[in-house]
Amino acid sequence: MADPAGTGDEVLLAPIERTGPGFYWIVGLLSVLVLWGAAAYATQFVGGLGVTGLHQPVSWGFYVANFVFFIGISHAGTLISAILRLSKAEWRRPITRMAEVITVMVLFIGAGQILVDLGRPDRIMNVIRHGRYQSPLLWDATSISAYLTASIVYLYLPMIPDVAILRDRLAKRKLLHTVLALGWTGSLRQQKILNRAIAIMAVLVIPIAVSVHSVVSFVFSMTLQPMWHSTIFGPYFVVGAIFSGIAALIVAMIAFRRAYGLQGYLKPVHFRYLGQLLLVMSLLWFYFTFAEYLTGYYGGEPEEMKVFWAKFNGPFGVLFWGMVVANFVIPVVTLVSLRRHTVGKVLLASISALVGMWLERFIIVVPTLSNPRLPFGEGTYWPTWVEWGEMAGSFGLFALFYVLFTKFFPIISIWEIREGREVGLKEVEERLLTYLPDHAEPAHPPAGAVVR
Amino acid sequence: MSHPGPASDRTVRTIQWAMAGAAVLFIGGIVIWITHLIRTAWRLGDGPSASIGISLVAIPVFLTLLGVILYVVRGLLGEAGDRRERETVDEREGI
Repeated sequence: MADPAGTGDEVLLAPIERTGPGFYWIVGLLSVLVLWGAAAYATQFVGGLGVTGLHQPVSWGFYVANFVFFIGISHAGTLISAILRLSKAEWRRPITRMAEVITVMVLFIGAGQILVDLGRPDRIMNVIRHGRYQSPLLWDATSISAYLTASIVYLYLPMIPDVAILRDRLAKRKLLHTVLALGWTGSLRQQKILNRAIAIMAVLVIPIAVSVHSVVSFVFSMTLQPMWHSTIFGPYFVVGAIFSGIAALIVAMIAFRRAYGLQGYLKPVHFRYLGQLLLVMSLLWFYFTFAEYLTGYYGGEPEEMKVFWAKFNGPFGVLFWGMVVANFVIPVVTLVSLRRHTVGKVLLASISALVGMWLERFIIVVPTLSNPRLPFGEGTYWPTWVEWGEMAGSFGLFALFYVLFTKFFPIISIWEIREGREVGLKEVEERLLTYLPDHAEPAHPPAGAVVR
Repeated sequence: MSHPGPASDRTVRTIQWAMAGAAVLFIGGIVIWITHLIRTAWRLGDGPSASIGISLVAIPVFLTLLGVILYVVRGLLGEAGDRRERETVDEREGI
């Protein structure tokens, strides 16, 4: 039966059972950020978008950059977790839950940016009632809805055995845990049902996740705006999304490792593997960036070149080169050797990548609008305190949701850890033998993971 | 393992099935919305373009998601219900 007693996994339940003063301090601090965001939004709601730095021709600024950034971060979870699950990467066990939570939380925040950018949120009803599918914006709405739904399901299903542990062990929140556990007893039939459902979801969420950021890129690339109309924007955005997603996951892992004393679960080896993934994504990002800008430069189309030079040595030069340093130079230099100070190096590279990827989103959105193809005249964009406040509030809200989640549910999947101990070791050995030349492959693949 | 009493047991089951019902309503609503948008596109002569094709892919995706949700809810709750029924019969018969 699902009970972690005696397995040494009590530390995973400790944050749910006990609340220290540090938790209240963090919640208080994040609440201040959220309140700042709320005040900024209230100001905008009353005064309209005129209180922001948005104007013609730069009608998209921080909000849309944040939207693309947050949706990109969402690839941390579902996509990475699904790929690691399907590829039977055993080291995934302590990190899948954290990754999946990031996805769900950040999708809410990302989608919310569009509501903020609308100025008048009631206009969302126009999209629902009179939307036209010839607009990529509506493709976005559809694919993000699918991704959010799939991510919630994909987060919830592997949580069921852990919620059953909470139901059986904790006296508080009994009704919540009993309802969410869905009568889980860990019987063979239930294990079979849950394993099958998780496997279906793992396969399903990968194309959905890829489609989401492709479609986000279509919002830009389906226009004829200079430096947006690009055929590689889809994969370019997906690569950037996975890159920033891994970085966000690493930062979350290090924060909770320290806060909840999870050093026994989140070991340097996990950070080394994720660091190597981050390095690969950094190189891929640079390759796509290089291909994108070289192609534009070689074409030499006048409108395109105006935006190009605005980024290279014009008003956006500092941000552009900052992006290159943060996304490529710092990650490559720090991650090329991870034998010593692994966690510190990976953390530095991840924070750098997050900053760099936000700059990249900004660099994609604003310079093109500042130098439009149509004869609007050039424009500049300076965010006001309203946009800064909304941005701080969005990050604060994301972190607050995440911290609160850890007070209700285990942030590391208890049953997956147990399964690793009880079944995983033997299964890996059997699987390894099948790879070797002098061992025949079994007629049927080894039975799937057993949920306890 | 501690189970809730019979009264709260009914409450729990009701909430769990209500959650499943909410999932049906939510995903059903999205499917109806997508259908409405496709009909709008058709009516306005936006044409049977790739966009309609892309949107049509979304409906089976949502229906698959709903299928997975209902499969899990029915599978897990169904067995839990059977088990409780057996326990009740056993208690009545003094086993």
